[in-house]
Amino acid sequence: MARVYNWQLGREMSYWYPESRPKRQFAAVFDTNKCIACQTCTLACKTTWTSGKGQEYMLWNNVETKPYGSYPLAYDVKLLDMLDSGSWSGNKYEGRTIFESAPAGERVMGWRPEQQDYAYPNCGEDDCAGQVDGGAGMMSLPHMSWFFYLARICNHCTYPACLASCPRGSIYKRPEDGIVLVDQGRCRGYQECVRGCPYKKVFFNPMTNTSEKCIACYPKIEQGIQPQCFVNCIGKIRMAGWISKPEDAKPDNPIDSLVHIKKIALPLFPQYGLEPNVYYIPPIHVPLSFSRQLFGPGAAAAVQAYRNAKNDADLAALLCLFGSSEKLMPRWKRIGDDVYGLDEKGATLVRVPRNEPVFIRPAYDKLYQITRTNCP
Amino acid sequence: MRRLVLLAAAALLAGCHRAPTRTNEVVSTASREISTDASSSIWDAAPEHLANLLPQDLVDPRILKPTTAEVRVRSVHNGGEIAFRLEWIDRTNDDMPGPARFLDGCAVQIPRGIEPNPPDPRMGQGGRPVEIAFWRADWQAAVNGRKDTIQAIYPNAAVDHYPFQAKSLEGTDAQKQMETRYAPARAVGNHRAGPRDSPVEDLVAEGPGTLSPAGARQSRGKGARTNDGWAVVIARKLPEGLGPNKRTQIAFAVWEGSSKETGARKMRTGWIPLAVRAAR
Ligand code: SF4
Ligand code: SF4
Repeated sequence: MARVYNWQLGREMSYWYPESRPKRQFAAVFDTNKCIACQTCTLACKTTWTSGKGQEYMLWNNVETKPYGSYPLAYDVKLLDMLDSGSWSGNKYEGRTIFESAPAGERVMGWRPEQQDYAYPNCGEDDCAGQVDGGAGMMSLPHMSWFFYLARICNHCTYPACLASCPRGSIYKRPEDGIVLVDQGRCRGYQECVRGCPYKKVFFNPMTNTSEKCIACYPKIEQGIQPQCFVNCIGKIRMAGWISKPEDAKPDNPIDSLVHIKKIALPLFPQYGLEPNVYYIPPIHVPLSFSRQLFGPGAAAAVQAYRNAKNDADLAALLCLFGSSEKLMPRWKRIGDDVYGLDEKGATLVRVPRNEPVFIRPAYDKLYQITRTNCP
Repeated sequence: MRRLVLLAAAALLAGCHRAPTRTNEVVSTASREISTDASSSIWDAAPEHLANLLPQDLVDPRILKPTTAEVRVRSVHNGGEIAFRLEWIDRTNDDMPGPARFLDGCAVQIPRGIEPNPPDPRMGQGGRPVEIAFWRADWQAAVNGRKDTIQAIYPNAAVDHYPFQAKSLEGTDAQKQMETRYAPARAVGNHRAGPRDSPVEDLVAEGPGTLSPAGARQSRGKGARTNDGWAVVIARKLPEGLGPNKRTQIAFAVWEGSSKETGARKMRTGWIPLAVRAAR
C-alpha cells in the first residue's frame, strides 16, 4: 500500500497505488434540492448505453429516495455497518477508510450484493422519515416527514476502489480527464470491482462475462458536451466540469467555486476514502446528523450557504448556470445580474439572467381575437 | 437366499472394478485414441494421481479457508495430443453466470519451455511463461446447447424490447452491428465474452495478473457432472519438446462457484512432475 493525500479527509491515507492525479479531473455538482425523481436521467443513460443483453438490470445512473431507498438494496448501510467509521475532528477524518480496513487477503473492505439485491431499484421510493422541526405538524402523518432524492452515477473517484480491487489491472483512470473505465478487452469478469466499489457503480454483465460501468459519456466529454444524464435532467440539478485540488482552486471555474470556494457542494460518503468527484449540494430540510453521515462535516455550513444564496450574488448566479447549456462550461463570470458560461478561452457559451423577465399574457388576445386558457 | 446371491454378484462386480494404480506424479500413458469423454475406456488403464489442493493464499485477493480438498488426475497421450481427466467432489453445480454468482471450473498449467527448473508456480514469471487450459461449467452449458439469451440464465426475465430487435432492422447487417455495440466486450473481441463454441480457453501468463489469451487455440475438452462432482477432460497439443520418455511439470487449479471462487480466489497445487511414457 502507498501513502496518498486525500483532501476530503484532510489527511494522508493508504491506497493500493501511489498518488497519480490526472491532467484534469472530471467532476460534477448535483443540487439535491432540485431533483424531482423523474428518472429522466436514468432513462437517458439506459437507452444510450445499457440496452443490450445482460445489461437489463444495470442502472449506471439511478435516483433513490433517501433515507429508505438504495440500489442495490442497502448498499450504503451494509458497508457503513462494516466500517469502523470513527469521527471527524473538524475537517479531518479520524476513522478508517475502506482501504485501511481491508481484512487479510483483500485489497479493500467491500460488501458484495447478492443478485436479488438488484431486484428493487425503486424500493423506498417516496417513503418519508425523520421529523422536521416546525414543519408538517398539522398533517399528523402516521409516518415521519422528510425525504429527498439522491441521484447517483459513478464518482470517477480520485482513488477508485474498483480500480484498486482488480487483480488484473483491467480498470484504468484516464490521465487526460480522470474518467474511470473498465477495459472491456482485458476484463475477465472476476467481479472484484463490484465488491470493491462502495457506491456499487460497477455491474456484472452475465452475457459478456465482463463488468461494466458508467463511462461519463466520454465520447461527449471529448467533444466538450456534458453527459446524457446531465443534458436530459428535467430539474436542471446537474453541472459537469473540472475540479482542481483545493490549493489550486480557480474562482472562474464553476466547479471549483461551488466545491472549494463557496463550499456548498460535498462528496458522498467521503469517509470511505475514495475522494469521489460527484459533489452534492445537501438537502436543506433533512436532519443534520443524516446529512453529515452522507456528506461529511461540511453539511451544516453548506446548507446555511445555500439558504443564504439570495444574498450572495455570485452563488445565486452560479446556481443559475445549472442546466443552462449542453456544453461543458469550464469557466464562468458574472456581470451584474447576468451569469455567463464560458469556454476554455473565455468566449461566451451561454448567458443567463439571474431573474428571468416575467411576461404576463392577457387571457384575451386582441390581435388574433381569441381567448387563451392559461394553465395555473 | 436370494439376498445372498445378490450380495455375491455385487461383490463379483466390485471385484471387476479394480482400484486405480496411484502414482505420486502425473504419468501420461500412451493411447492410440484420445477422447474428451470422461467415461471412455481409454482412462481405465491410466494410473491416477491424487493432487492435494491448497488455498491460493499468496497473492491478494486470496482465499484463507480451504474448499475443494483434492483432484484426481489421469493422463493419456497419442504423441500429438496429451489429455488430462480431472475429477473432484463438488456437490453443487454452478454453471449460471450472474452478479455474485460464480462458476465451477478447473485449469491445467504447463511451463512453455521444458526445463529442469520450472518457472514460478504462481502462473509463471517474466520471460518464462506458462500455458494454461481453462475449463468452465457455464461454457460447457453453452456448448451443450444453452441459449445465448438472458432467459436461459434467468427464466423469468421479462424484457420489453432491445433496440436492435426493432422490426425495421430485422435480418439486416445494421441489426448485427447494433447488437454488438450493446455488448462492448464482444465488440472488442474479448474471448471471454462469448458466445462460446468451446468450453476450454487457451491462456498464457507470466505471473499473477498477466493472464492473456493464447495466440492460437490448442486445447479442447468436455466436462460432465458425476454423482458427487465433476469429471472434466482437457486435451491439448503436446507442449513443444515434450514427448515419450520426457518429463516436465504440471499444476492444477479448481474453482468452486458456490464458495464464490473466481480468478485468484481458487484452490491450486504447486508444480507436480509429469512423466510422459512411451507406448509399450
Ligand atoms: S464510484 Fe465506484 S465505480 Fe466509480 S470510480 Fe469510484 S469506485 Fe470506481
Ligand atoms: S433527471 Fe434530474 S430531476 Fe429528474 S431524477 Fe434525474 S437528476 Fe433528478
